[in-house]
Amino acid sequence: MSDRGRASPIWLPRLVTGLILIAGIALLAIATGAVGDRVFVRVVTVLFINMVLVVGLQVFMGNSGLVSFGHVAFMGIGAYGSIWFSLTPEQKNLALPDMPEEWWLHQTTLPFPLAIVAGGLLALIVGGIIGIALVRLRGASFTIATFALLLIVHSVALQTEVLTRGSRTVFGIPPYTTLWTVAAWAVAAVIVALLFKESATGLKLRAAREDEDAAASLGVDAARVRWLGWALSVFIAGVGGGLWAHFITTFSPAAFYLSQTFLIVAMLIIGGSRSVSGAVVGAAAVALTSELLRDTEGRLNTQRADGAGLGQFIPFQLVGFTEIVLAIAIILILIWRPAGITGGREVVSRGS
Amino acid sequence: MRLIPPRGRFMLRVDDLHVRFGAIAALRGVSLHINQGEIVGLIGVNGAGKSTTIGSIIGIVRPSQGSISFENGSLLGLAPEAIIRRGIAPVMEGRRIFPALTVGENLRLGAAIRRDPAGIQEDLDRWCAFFPILGERYHQSAGNLSGGQQQMLAIGRALMSRPRLLLLDEPSLGLAPKLVAEVFALIGQLRELGMTMLLVEQNVRMTLNMVDRAYLLNTGAVEFTGTAAEMRQHADFERAYLGGAGAAAAATDAPR
Amino acid sequence: MTDFSDGIQFLISSLSIGGLYALMALGLVIVYGILRLVNFAYGELIMIAGYSLLLLGDTPLPWLGVAILSVIAAAIAGLLMERVAFRPVRDSSPTTMLITSFAVSTLLQSVALLTISPRPRPVRLPEFFVQSLTVGDVRIRVVDLIALAVTIVALVALTIFLRRSLIGIALRAAADDFTMTRLLGVRANLVIAAAFAISGALAGIVALFWIGRSSLVEPAVGLQPVLIAFIASVVGGLDSLRGAVLGGYVLGFLTIGLQTWLPRELLDYRDAVTFGIVIVILLVRPQGLLGGAAGGGR
Repeated sequence: MSDRGRASPIWLPRLVTGLILIAGIALLAIATGAVGDRVFVRVVTVLFINMVLVVGLQVFMGNSGLVSFGHVAFMGIGAYGSIWFSLTPEQKNLALPDMPEEWWLHQTTLPFPLAIVAGGLLALIVGGIIGIALVRLRGASFTIATFALLLIVHSVALQTEVLTRGSRTVFGIPPYTTLWTVAAWAVAAVIVALLFKESATGLKLRAAREDEDAAASLGVDAARVRWLGWALSVFIAGVGGGLWAHFITTFSPAAFYLSQTFLIVAMLIIGGSRSVSGAVVGAAAVALTSELLRDTEGRLNTQRADGAGLGQFIPFQLVGFTEIVLAIAIILILIWRPAGITGGREVVSRGS
Repeated sequence: MRLIPPRGRFMLRVDDLHVRFGAIAALRGVSLHINQGEIVGLIGVNGAGKSTTIGSIIGIVRPSQGSISFENGSLLGLAPEAIIRRGIAPVMEGRRIFPALTVGENLRLGAAIRRDPAGIQEDLDRWCAFFPILGERYHQSAGNLSGGQQQMLAIGRALMSRPRLLLLDEPSLGLAPKLVAEVFALIGQLRELGMTMLLVEQNVRMTLNMVDRAYLLNTGAVEFTGTAAEMRQHADFERAYLGGAGAAAAATDAPR
Repeated sequence: MTDFSDGIQFLISSLSIGGLYALMALGLVIVYGILRLVNFAYGELIMIAGYSLLLLGDTPLPWLGVAILSVIAAAIAGLLMERVAFRPVRDSSPTTMLITSFAVSTLLQSVALLTISPRPRPVRLPEFFVQSLTVGDVRIRVVDLIALAVTIVALVALTIFLRRSLIGIALRAAADDFTMTRLLGVRANLVIAAAFAISGALAGIVALFWIGRSSLVEPAVGLQPVLIAFIASVVGGLDSLRGAVLGGYVLGFLTIGLQTWLPRELLDYRDAVTFGIVIVILLVRPQGLLGGAAGGGR
């Protein structure tokens, strides 16, 4: 009997994992669509966008073992890139008034899915070039460099008014992103991430994560596979940024900065960075929990204003309450379950 | 017949020690003891469990079962620094001196657990006289010392804590034959000073010439133990470690 | 203005800001050397010193007393941070510690946001922070000179401590081989606590002059200094105390140099240009100017 179990093909658990994750995303999307509550649709759409970002981050962090605090910079680049291509020249006159009309960029308009891909490609180009230097760094130096990158991209976006309108918010982005489009992108991201993990490059990257010298002796060029993982990862982050901008319909440098970085890193760590399942589970768990917290925060603030309920005992307006709870949650998880909710395993893995 | 002293008279006593690294059993019930003033050898091939035994004694390896006691107090579960403070000093494999620190700073750190400045100065003078090279190079970076000199420093540093038990883990490893002889000569001198030592070595012949008793470890268990003479006579031991000619020579040494 | 007086001004500005950067980097590297922890919450130690300046500024204490108490507050905060957040994950991977510190950073900023104010608050500063001296045709801000002097005193004091005291020697030894240091009977908790206390005190000193420049304190006040500390320490070599000091001064000269010579229209991109130069340095020496192993991954 046990022989038959062992004889099951090696790809089967991976296929089942993929199917379960996709089914989960589809179920959540369909259930949300069926309920149709506006607030809930909004929450789940944002959840899926964040899931794209977290899966993108997992592609790099999970397989390479390196921590990037700079991915949200590529979310920003992807968002601006997609805005430049999705808006019509007339819309750009309003949304990006500083951009010269004679520019090719001003006159070009692409259909929505292509504009999103263009944003992703822009992130890929920028990230790819910087990545050549970044992948030479290890451990803490790498993380610091990515963090510096985030701050630099943020400050450049603030200064470059012709392209971004500076610190002012870009308004009037067409609301192309819907629950369904973003669910489809989330499914695509999950499939790509699972395929990458099992690809030759993904395997080499994971080998280099465990022991770079041993991997090198087997002919693995660590810098090269790291760069490939990084490039794919920042592309997905760029796509996530485009989806975000076309859902919220406004965008400013404040949208891709520290709190967003903290959110997606928290999602990945809480879910478990070593597996795609961890990224999906973490994104969902944290999104739903923080929605609950935000709801509570709002309710307590209202009660406080009215002098009723529990809220009347709170001495100050609650701001950043959600971040505090999330930060404490992440610290406790790192102490008690450092590999995250999933323990870094896929939902279905060999031998289980 | 060896006289086995009653329990509690041992300086160090290790009983039924088990250590696991994941699925691998590194130690499978090792028992050994050291009496005050004795030099005890711990020998065996690579991977036999010598370093794991030392690691367990000094608290950097966590045993899954068994007991370790030193001067009637259990060492199990103590942090390494607490164990050192009980009076044990290890000289680790690979010397583990601090290359960026000066020779003098290395020695001063050896006395980290002591609070008697006069006594520390006395010992500094004493060991710098004992190892003249350490006195000469006192203000230089320890990393500039040769391999043999670094071993002297590692031993001198361990002695600075005035230990009652010195653990020497492969002190001759990686040294040229002439330096190996020097290190063993030094151990002989420490023995004259009455130091109690556990000597972990792969150099079996020189070890047996030095120690009172020895334990032969094999795949995580004590395979054979006895006095140096008994060890030399042990049949399997000869075959495994000393070879034909060496065995014959060793046998003639052994008092009958 | 002559070239000579420009040169003097450039030198004093660079040395003053470079010294501050060196202290920032040292505070980070002294902890990294021992725990392999990049403490993202280092900036929040600066924030805590800043809010201490703000809160104690309302008391009748003289400014110097307020300043000293604020430095002590940051040192105590460093100790508490270690005890509460980092000790439980000390034996985990560097990644785990890194993310823990990121969470601690967010936590402390959010708490400041919630309990104090999201808006910048003005801090009481002594007169000399805004005065300048004129020697010949050289105009020098007094605060620059004081920062310069305080930095040098701090660096000398730290050097003496690391060379002469047993804990200082143990700190240097532990940065090299922590386990062996413990095997000489040095208490791990003591060494780590010392590193965090020094890190906090350095953050406190940095806070005095950093906040002195703008006279404002806000929850995110530590962000810019921590970024500078990161870059300076990566440039110098994360595992080298000397590298941290060197990296700080290199970055100081770079910052003031770019400010002086960069064309006006590019001035807004000074940080980006600085980062570009840092990337080039790292391409040539991934382990930093004085670092040992590449990136000090272990």
